[in-house]
Amino acid sequence: MMESMASVAVPIEVLLVEDSPGDVRLTREAFKDAKVHINLHVASDGTEAMAFLGREGKHANVPRPDLILLDLNLPKKDGREVLEEIKESPTLKSIPVVILTTSASEMDILRSYRLHANCYITKPVDLNGFLKVVKSIDSFWLSVVKLPREPRS
Amino acid sequence: MKPKSLLSRKVQLAFGSAILTLLVVGAVSYRGMVVSSESDRWVRHTHEVLEKLLDLLSAMQSIDSSYRGFVLTGKESYLESYRASILSAEQDEATVRNLTVDNPIQQRQLPALERLAVQKIQYAETVISLRRTKGLEAAVDAIRSGPGQQIIDEFQGVVREMQDEELRLLVLRNADAKRHLGQTKAVLILGTVLGLLIAAGAGWGVQRDSSGRGLAEEALRDSEEKYRMLLDEVQDYAIFMLDPRGRIVSWNAGAERIKGYKAEEIIGHNFSCFFPPEDIKRGKPEKVLRMTAASGRHEEQDMCVRKDGSRFLASVTFTALRDPAGSLRGFSEISRDLSESEESGAKYRGLLEAAPDAMVVVNQGGKIVLLNVQAEKQFGYRRDELVGQKVKNIIPEGFAERLIADGTRTAAEALAQQIGTGIELTGRRKNGSDFPIEIMLSPRESAEGILVTAAIRDITERKKSEEHLMKTVGELKRSNDELQQFAYVASHDLQEPLRMVASYTQLLAQRYKGRLDSDADEFIAYAVDGSNRMQGLIQDLLAYSRAGINGKVLREISSENALKEALTNLRATIEESGAVVTHDSLPAITTDHTQLAQVFQNLVGNAIKYRSAEVPHVHVSATKNGGNEWIFSVRDNGLGIDPQYFERIFILFQRLHGPKEFKGTGIGLAICKKMLERLGGRIWVESQPEKGSTFYFVLPERDGK
Repeated sequence: MMESMASVAVPIEVLLVEDSPGDVRLTREAFKDAKVHINLHVASDGTEAMAFLGREGKHANVPRPDLILLDLNLPKKDGREVLEEIKESPTLKSIPVVILTTSASEMDILRSYRLHANCYITKPVDLNGFLKVVKSIDSFWLSVVKLPREPRS
Repeated sequence: MKPKSLLSRKVQLAFGSAILTLLVVGAVSYRGMVVSSESDRWVRHTHEVLEKLLDLLSAMQSIDSSYRGFVLTGKESYLESYRASILSAEQDEATVRNLTVDNPIQQRQLPALERLAVQKIQYAETVISLRRTKGLEAAVDAIRSGPGQQIIDEFQGVVREMQDEELRLLVLRNADAKRHLGQTKAVLILGTVLGLLIAAGAGWGVQRDSSGRGLAEEALRDSEEKYRMLLDEVQDYAIFMLDPRGRIVSWNAGAERIKGYKAEEIIGHNFSCFFPPEDIKRGKPEKVLRMTAASGRHEEQDMCVRKDGSRFLASVTFTALRDPAGSLRGFSEISRDLSESEESGAKYRGLLEAAPDAMVVVNQGGKIVLLNVQAEKQFGYRRDELVGQKVKNIIPEGFAERLIADGTRTAAEALAQQIGTGIELTGRRKNGSDFPIEIMLSPRESAEGILVTAAIRDITERKKSEEHLMKTVGELKRSNDELQQFAYVASHDLQEPLRMVASYTQLLAQRYKGRLDSDADEFIAYAVDGSNRMQGLIQDLLAYSRAGINGKVLREISSENALKEALTNLRATIEESGAVVTHDSLPAITTDHTQLAQVFQNLVGNAIKYRSAEVPHVHVSATKNGGNEWIFSVRDNGLGIDPQYFERIFILFQRLHGPKEFKGTGIGLAICKKMLERLGGRIWVESQPEKGSTFYFVLPERDGK
């Protein structure tokens, strides 16, 4: 209890990589009731996500995310490539990556875990299912799980 | 009838006199010949002596002229010819001495000749040394003053005397020879006349007894007739005789049958008419006779031409016939039509002609021996154009190579390679066009070596339809793949915007229910319902398009376990409905476990879903049918189905009930059908409304289990 109280004080930085504004909005809606204070950052394609993580250009002052929610089917740079680059980067690979996608393909699931995705979630097609999933991400990854704390540069 | 002994005594007498006369004539002629040849020898001898005397004289003149030549020019080459002339003079002198050794008159002249020659040479030597020591002037003076010319003149005188002596002898000897010749002629004429008289007498004597002669002739004719009949009996072989120039002098029945000529048509003609024109052009008939005459016997296998122009492969043996003295009297030819030997007799021909394919029989040399009418049609040749031709002409590759044993293959290996079925090669018509063929080879050893019967099938049509089929199959596959891709992509991509519609109408419903007016609430409810149904359809479509794609690994599995898995998944439904699901013992079967479980789940699920008022009873069983298939059945006591819908229920999204009665999209049976068909099975239903339904499906038994 003490631990979770302590984490309430510090906002959690989440990077959502998602091209559908509808999904972004739904995710925001779902996080509204979160127990923790979440700063939700959005990158609408893979290239922007990598720029955000590398703090390039307009992202120069963004915080390092504590958790990444990554869609697989993205414009420009594909989610699979983003995942691979994150997990190959010595500085980024410690950030947990949750794959949140509509794809239920066995191939995508297997491949994602081989690229060291931390978990794989298929977006439920109905609203309540979706809200439930986002809430469970919130409760598991942002409350239950101890996230790595790297010194912020 | 006169006694035979009298006839033979007369004949003996006549023969005896004739022989005696011949002996006398012979002896006289021989004597005449001996004497005459003796005279001839002497005449030749005389000519020889005359010739040598002339040689000797010219050698002496040559000595004279060559030493003078040296004296005048001083050139050593004259001395060379001078010495050569001395040598030949010595030889000529020795020859003359030998030739005239029997004639003392001539021998007496020889010392004089020798003496003169020695004088001449001594004198010449003196002059030569003078020329060398004192020079030209002194030598010329010596010649002028010396006795050189006188010696030559004397030498010539002696030679002339010797010549005169020889000429005298020649006249004597010629006269002698003439006399002997005259004597011999007389004896010969006399002897011949005498011989003729005796022969005429004997002939007259023999003629007087014609009946006796008739007997003897009859005996001879009889034996000849028997022999001829024996030859005539032979039907399988053409046997006939040729004179030394190749004209036919006898003809048997076999020859008539095989070659098609009657004896009276062919006797007297040259045997070259049995050869194909191209062989005649090459001079083959003459060559065959030459070879036979040289070696006594010649055998070959080659094409022969019948009277009607048709050709056949024959085995031919020529033998040279010689009289005891060894002079060529003619030839015998024995030939056999190989195409009608044993296995290729009339029956075999009949069999070939009856065959629906082109049939060609080829010998080890790659030549066509026999063919049928289909072969003529297929390749566009007349029969006689093909018989004897190389099979390469009609099948350029892949066939002839199989026939011939060469350095790298033994005959046994070649034979082994000939055996084959369905070898696809290319055939070539007379007009040069190619067409695909399939050939089957059946080799067999025969007296003429290995003969291969080839059944040749024109597979142009088959190739065309194969190609067409391959094309169609390819198109079908492509279209199927595209469809699959389309269904997957469409449902996947449709799902995204639909999810937005569904999510936000739901969000709207949740947050604003009761806060707008009642119409709004109703509209939103329809929108939510519609989008939910749409989502269901799309998910099913996705499931259907995926059905059977994955997990096609077939292994032996327990169908009972597959059913149990299905029932586990249906537990909630079963419990809720209170259904009773029973089954017989189910077999082990080679198929895909996951798909079979899915089929069971859909069928049992439907059986419970479309239940009547009664408690649902579902029974699953399996029986093996007459073939090697398992028939599974899922029987229920539910609503039953009107027979008119038996087909329709297996079609995608076809439903018999509205969404208000039963939820669902109409995908379950379509998926069952697709999966079963992919596993090599099929599905159908037997049912009566209100009496329940039985769904049957069949799966093939694999690997004989």
